[in-house]
Amino acid sequence: MPAHDWDGRFSRMLGDLPEAAPEETASSRLKARVYSALVRAQQETGPLQSLTKCEEAGRGLCMWEKLVQISPIGEKAKEPFLCWTCHARVLGEHIEKAPIWWAHCPYADFQKR
Amino acid sequence: MLFGKSIVHSQILSKTETTLADDMKLVSEVLLKDRKATAEFIERYTDSVYSYVRRRTMPRADVVEDLVQEVFLAAWHSLGNFRGDSSLRHWLLGIARHKVEDFYRMRLREHEMPDEIDGDISEWAVTPAFEEGLDQKLNLEKTHQVLARLPEAYGLVLLWRYMEQRSVREMAERMGKTEKAVERLLARAREQFRKEWNHAGA
Repeated sequence: MPAHDWDGRFSRMLGDLPEAAPEETASSRLKARVYSALVRAQQETGPLQSLTKCEEAGRGLCMWEKLVQISPIGEKAKEPFLCWTCHARVLGEHIEKAPIWWAHCPYADFQKR
Repeated sequence: MLFGKSIVHSQILSKTETTLADDMKLVSEVLLKDRKATAEFIERYTDSVYSYVRRRTMPRADVVEDLVQEVFLAAWHSLGNFRGDSSLRHWLLGIARHKVEDFYRMRLREHEMPDEIDGDISEWAVTPAFEEGLDQKLNLEKTHQVLARLPEAYGLVLLWRYMEQRSVREMAERMGKTEKAVERLLARAREQFRKEWNHAGA
């Protein structure tokens, strides 16, 4: 029985796969789903960063967030994950190339890149 | 002005352009639960994690998305421990590796191990087509196709052993099986792979 180096052969073939193939791209749907899950997990440990501080950090707010931000309501009411009630989230999580175009919406941004 | 020109949206850098300073800044913002920074975190690293997980779960493409989500949730729970000793991408892939191995272990534990190597398993009966394919490292697509056609346990045990480069002993310990049982499963998996490879043609 010839002594074939099966371990070596399979190692070369399967071990080289990740480096040999180009990086694959995740769907915008997956990014949307992971984003929603992550922000919800963040929310479970206490309030999210306020919209005003998010904006001050250099990232724009979407038009709905902006509306909430300038509304004469208490700051507590502005803390929740507002996207949870937005149809853009539902579309983004279920449809690739969903028809969402407004600026600074993470679900729209996931589809652009 | 209500919807005036907003602050310039932060540039999304490619993985190769991100620096440790970028990583540390992003991590601190995510830890502050800045939802916009969290979106950037997802945008910047999901492709890498997805690609890593997908290649290691080829026979089970249906579990990739759940595993990717688990990686990011686990990352969130231990993000406070990120010290920047390696890049954020590398750190995330470390978590992905654990998740993938947990998946292998869980699925293979459930698999009934063969008692004996069957009489028809003849790894020494090498055919030219298989030799050529292995030696030239050719045809990634064919490798993916063959792995996808194998029974789940065969595909996973091959990926765990040869892609993750885990020793039989490590695998046996994690699966709660004997080394002999793992060796037998590997022998069957290799044989089935070889048959499928030759059946698939050039």
